[in-house]
Amino acid sequence: MASSSMRQFRAMLRKDIVMELRTKEMLMSMGLYSLLTMVVYFVALSQAGAGFDPRDIAAGLLWLAFIFTSMLGLNRSLVHEKDQGCLEALLLSPVDRPVIFFAKAIGNLIFLLVVEALTIPVFAFLFLQGQAVDVSTVALIPLVLVAGSVGIAGVGTLLATMSVNTTGKDFVLAMLFIPLMYPLLLGAVTATAAAIIGGPEGVSLFWTGMAWVIGYDVIMLLASYGLYEFIVGA
Amino acid sequence: MGDEQRSANALEVRELTRAFGVRKALDAVSFDLPPRAFLSIFGPNGAGKTTLVKVLTTLLNPTSGSAKVLGLDVVSDAVEMRKRIGLISHNPLLYPDLTAEENLLFFSEMYGIEDPQGRVAELLEAVELDHRKLDLTRTFSRGMLQRLSIARALLHRPEVLFLDEPYSGLDPHAMDILDGLIAQIRDEHTFVMISHDLDKGLELCSHALILARGKIVMFEPREAIDEQVFRETYRSTVGMGVA
Repeated sequence: MASSSMRQFRAMLRKDIVMELRTKEMLMSMGLYSLLTMVVYFVALSQAGAGFDPRDIAAGLLWLAFIFTSMLGLNRSLVHEKDQGCLEALLLSPVDRPVIFFAKAIGNLIFLLVVEALTIPVFAFLFLQGQAVDVSTVALIPLVLVAGSVGIAGVGTLLATMSVNTTGKDFVLAMLFIPLMYPLLLGAVTATAAAIIGGPEGVSLFWTGMAWVIGYDVIMLLASYGLYEFIVGA
Repeated sequence: MGDEQRSANALEVRELTRAFGVRKALDAVSFDLPPRAFLSIFGPNGAGKTTLVKVLTTLLNPTSGSAKVLGLDVVSDAVEMRKRIGLISHNPLLYPDLTAEENLLFFSEMYGIEDPQGRVAELLEAVELDHRKLDLTRTFSRGMLQRLSIARALLHRPEVLFLDEPYSGLDPHAMDILDGLIAQIRDEHTFVMISHDLDKGLELCSHALILARGKIVMFEPREAIDEQVFRETYRSTVGMGVA
């Protein structure tokens, strides 16, 4: 990345972080939504029979919460730019469109990771307390969280840019985002479930899931990078 | 020799068309504008004025045809062109959760301005907002936002300034500041202004253009304009509606 692009990237990222620290709109809404989702899961599953093992569905529950939570933040991140025509001002400046994409995506990734870091302890307390988990493989979970969140933030930023100018942008984003998340969800849930259950087979399954997630990230980030200029000019 | 040096015109628009679905917001628009001219664009709502400015400022890609600003193509030379144009819109184009100074410093970084602190201080003084530089812009009045928006547009000393209804919603004091700033830089810059105010537009312009249904109805240099005919032509286009 050229030095001017790097300077612009840092300025955009710093601006997003400063604005978020002032308003706390994204972190508050995403954090509360994610924690409430955990409570709802807990209440809904509290009547499950004695044979129910929460570890069987824990990974799926976790990633569903993150997918839905991320949509709240993605919309807000672009609505901030849309307010008072700020996105136009940004697009008027001599900045390469992919630099805007990466700055917005990295900002969204940071906020999503913060929310995930707050949610995981609550999730572990509610669902995994007293359960047999393999500590050595559970330590791998941050890897899949980061890799999965990269895909969510990358694809989500592209789709939020597409939907921000549409009527019913929340609906449009959901309709585009959820189907595209399906392959990522498969890999991330596989890897997370394998890490929770553990054992030698778990380790192997974890890396299979991770390979799937990383492959998804690479393909989708390249596609988003290539499409961003077309989408903002369309 | 660069394109901009070869080109004798500040703007060269050829058969420019921009469609949204089946509707043509701009339909084969062609005109030239010499350097340091002041073009006022008039037309009813939906005539294609804002679309024209959006294409000329690289915010929208044309569907067909071409446009050059300072000899630079709006599609293939877009990044280079953006360094040399500015836009003052009826929207302030400022972040409400940043202070006035932070907004200008942020855009200084986007444009790679040398000595950003000095340039920002100079502009804040010029638009009489230096005493409010540490306040979030969400606390500003419409007039103050527009003054700050003028400072943002002038940060990088653009050669061509696009003004999209810049006087809209301004109080008389803010209008005077905008008039003063335009007068200061009038001789060295090319201006393209969208306006619904015929008196103001004709007072400022060296060229005037009436657009209706995406097509040029009239384009004349100021000295060739018969004001009565121009006003009647303009009035006849109002109510023509969208393309």
